[in-house]
Amino acid sequence: MARYIVRRLIWALLMLIAVSGVVFILFYVFPSADPAQLRAGRQANEDQIEAIRESLGLDKSVLEQFWIYLKGVFTPLDLPGTDSTGPLYLGHSYQSNADVKDVIVSDLPATALLVFGAVIIWMAVAIPTGIISAIRQRSLLDRSTMITTLVFISAPVFWLGLVALYLFAQDVGVIPVFPGIGSYATADTFLSKCASMILPWLVLAAATAAIYARYLRSQMIDVMQEDYIRTARAKGLPEKRVIGKHVLRSAITPIVTLLGLDVAVLLAGNAILTETVFNIPGIGAETFNAIKRSDLPMIQGITLFGAFFIVTLNLVVDIVYAYLDPRVRYE
Amino acid sequence: MKQETKEPILTETNEPTSTETNPSRSKGTTMREKALMALTCGALLVAAPVLAACGGGDGTSSGSDAAKARYAAPTEAPSDARTGGELTVIAASDVDYIDPGAAYYQFTYMITSATLSQLEGYAPADVEHATPQLATEPPTVSDDGKTITYTIHDDVEYSPPVSRTVTSDDVKYAIERSLLPGVPNGYVQTYLAGVEGIDKAIEEAQDDPTGGAPDISGITTPDDTTLEIKLENTTSIGVIGALTLPVSAPVPEEYAKQYDAENPSTYGEHQVATGPYMIQNACVDDSGEVVDPKCDGELTGYTPNKEIHLVRNPNWGGEAGSPPDWDFRPAYLDQITIQEGFADTVSASKKVLDGSGLVNGDFTTPPSAIKQAATSGEEGQLTLTPSGGNRYVALNTSRPPFDDVNVRKAVVANANRTDLRNTRGGELTGPVASHYLPPEFPGFEQAGGLEGPDLDFMANPDGDPELAAEYMKKAGFSSGKCEGSECEITMVGDDSPPGSDTAAVVKDQLEQLGFEVNFQKVTHDIMYTKFCSTPSNAPEVCPNVGWLKDFNDGQSMLDPTFNGQNVIPENNSNWPQLDDPKINEAIDAATLIDDPEERARAWGDVDRMITEVAPAIPYIWDDQANIQSADVAGVINKFNANWDLAFTSLKP
Repeated sequence: MARYIVRRLIWALLMLIAVSGVVFILFYVFPSADPAQLRAGRQANEDQIEAIRESLGLDKSVLEQFWIYLKGVFTPLDLPGTDSTGPLYLGHSYQSNADVKDVIVSDLPATALLVFGAVIIWMAVAIPTGIISAIRQRSLLDRSTMITTLVFISAPVFWLGLVALYLFAQDVGVIPVFPGIGSYATADTFLSKCASMILPWLVLAAATAAIYARYLRSQMIDVMQEDYIRTARAKGLPEKRVIGKHVLRSAITPIVTLLGLDVAVLLAGNAILTETVFNIPGIGAETFNAIKRSDLPMIQGITLFGAFFIVTLNLVVDIVYAYLDPRVRYE
Repeated sequence: MKQETKEPILTETNEPTSTETNPSRSKGTTMREKALMALTCGALLVAAPVLAACGGGDGTSSGSDAAKARYAAPTEAPSDARTGGELTVIAASDVDYIDPGAAYYQFTYMITSATLSQLEGYAPADVEHATPQLATEPPTVSDDGKTITYTIHDDVEYSPPVSRTVTSDDVKYAIERSLLPGVPNGYVQTYLAGVEGIDKAIEEAQDDPTGGAPDISGITTPDDTTLEIKLENTTSIGVIGALTLPVSAPVPEEYAKQYDAENPSTYGEHQVATGPYMIQNACVDDSGEVVDPKCDGELTGYTPNKEIHLVRNPNWGGEAGSPPDWDFRPAYLDQITIQEGFADTVSASKKVLDGSGLVNGDFTTPPSAIKQAATSGEEGQLTLTPSGGNRYVALNTSRPPFDDVNVRKAVVANANRTDLRNTRGGELTGPVASHYLPPEFPGFEQAGGLEGPDLDFMANPDGDPELAAEYMKKAGFSSGKCEGSECEITMVGDDSPPGSDTAAVVKDQLEQLGFEVNFQKVTHDIMYTKFCSTPSNAPEVCPNVGWLKDFNDGQSMLDPTFNGQNVIPENNSNWPQLDDPKINEAIDAATLIDDPEERARAWGDVDRMITEVAPAIPYIWDDQANIQSADVAGVINKFNANWDLAFTSLKP
């Protein structure tokens, strides 16, 4: 197992370098706004733009910029044009000159609260729903549950978010029950921050819970056809034990993989729509701003941070997998 | 102020989710896209009556005047204005620069006008003339027009931790530091180009970006309260105009130079205030009481893209509602919070209208909110203010087919400018433009006023296809429509509404004249920086460009945008790439005129000359729609077309 983990970590490092390279290539190959011109203002002349380009390090070749970036992230070597050194130096924002790492660190709590709260809700809803639907297959309850999940899967998150706001937000809703847009930023206690997250949690959890419920149902139905389940029943094991001990344990393993990836992807800034609609100052909202302003260091930093999360959680999931499923062994 | 990319009134960047509802990709349609298209159609159905409510008339009718009267911008605080309380400004995005030396954006000015004292500032009702602020009186100009002298107050003090009296040296330093590459000022090098010694100072700054602010030999300070500026080959008007902007707010050199030695400078994150408010730092608490006079000055009230928190400046010298003798800003409020990140402007506007103690910040009020404010809002919740800007469809005059003036005239004649204006939201969003200088601007009347110059191809705001066909025939297209390979043109425009809506209408109108239009949709910033502002890569048509004044002078509207000498390889603002020797000559001559009336007339003539050669389709002079909660007694600054935070109060 130890050798497996070391090997995975080396691959992870290579993957992070590859991801950085891909972001650089995307930024330079596809049309994006010129950060130097954006910073310079509309009446700036060529010399001014060139001076800004130089101060941002954009006058160097793409390869040189990439090398400097890698040095900052992975090594403690000196970096030209800045007092900062690595490792873990992600650069400064083209727009605000803020340290990218500091911005990510300050944004992380909001995103983490959003994601983990939503995870609790979607797992709490999805698991019982999936189990009941699988057990009562083709019943009215199963059919109505599956139709409902289909509705939530089909509804775009931003649309669902806006509907939730216009129905239930205290500032713009017709039934003002929950804190509304931007309430996270003004909340000053953990409890009030949690309160400000109720609508975002529900919205973010809705579609995912629906997917998980359907997936779990389908997995359980498959597992219930297996011979060993029939055997367990024939042996006279109580149905609760058959479902809980044998069916669920087997059916939930793929859900764990899915959960690990989903959490990583959301922490990496993929809650962009939920954060934007509810004005939650998290990594998703930061991503949105960075893309809007062609802020390469910020885009790069968030992408790398996201890739790190995905790689790490993948590894964790693989390890957990081994414990959940005794058939899985890593060499 | 900056071009469309950053002005809320001219921006398309504030409709972020709309990019996701764009149904225009041509090939293949996924389930998700179908859902989005359905949503878009639904939104259009909802928007239709709203747009109708906003009007769709000719834009020059009395309906527009009635609306203007009803929603006229309040420029005075009520006599019983309440002191105290906290106001929240709801914004979609952040300021362009927190550093006052680089600030160049309408929304940023909203904040700097409350925290800084410039040589001259703009009182709410000022449109044409600035009011002395740090200066004791308007500047004097020597008889030969080559020396400008300012006298400044001797009792203005910086906020903590600097807490000392402002001197004229500080204003000189503020101007000089704006030449540093680390303080990317977008206008000083343009308007102060004729100041003695500035070229040498620019070179010095570029040779040694972290070596401190370069000396501009033409700016001197004979004593602590006098600032003299010597000019070469220019008039005083542009210089005085530029010094009504935040660059003339004093900066204490002994404190700022450590931050200016960095590139980019970090003085913005450590700035000190001279106005009634300051961005909070560790020296003061929420009530503006000094808690640590020797703090390091780093702003605690600024988090990029999230929040700016203003508290009272303890060294301002006045009380809420009672300014010190040298200042005209009453500053009723105790605290102001600018809350950013409200990407969905529809819900943000609803929050403002239904909420308490809120005003809009940097975003254009969407039609649904305008309708809500106009129909069910309380009186005064909606105000309309001419922004001092225009929007137009630029036709690339440097290459076929638009190098032929008759083709351009045909396109302009055919254009239904009312339809184009209505893509921005209808009559309440501003009158249909008939030339380039906006209403209430020096030279506007001379250029033809609201009706515009007497030109047949501009006569009908709803378009004149027959006249267009005649011009096409004059251009050699016997059928009256464009034919041949040169009629296959490229247009690069916004990928999100309302810009993409405008572009779609432009495309239709061009196709009516026989053009085959390849419409490339990109983000607003990419449209400018990679295409329309880069002549080597510029398309034939740029449908989403526009310009906002820097200050009320024709030079700031027409020189960067239509002077052939200003066509530069990148960051070009002359989008039609118009290079007409007669117009260039007239612009150069107008720039040198000192007499205000003669100058206004000259710029009016320049405007008329530009309109005559049809380099673009001007289609709207924007009105800025601002909204406030019912309990806010907002005051609009007409120069900035936005709320004046130093005059706004909460209702008793």
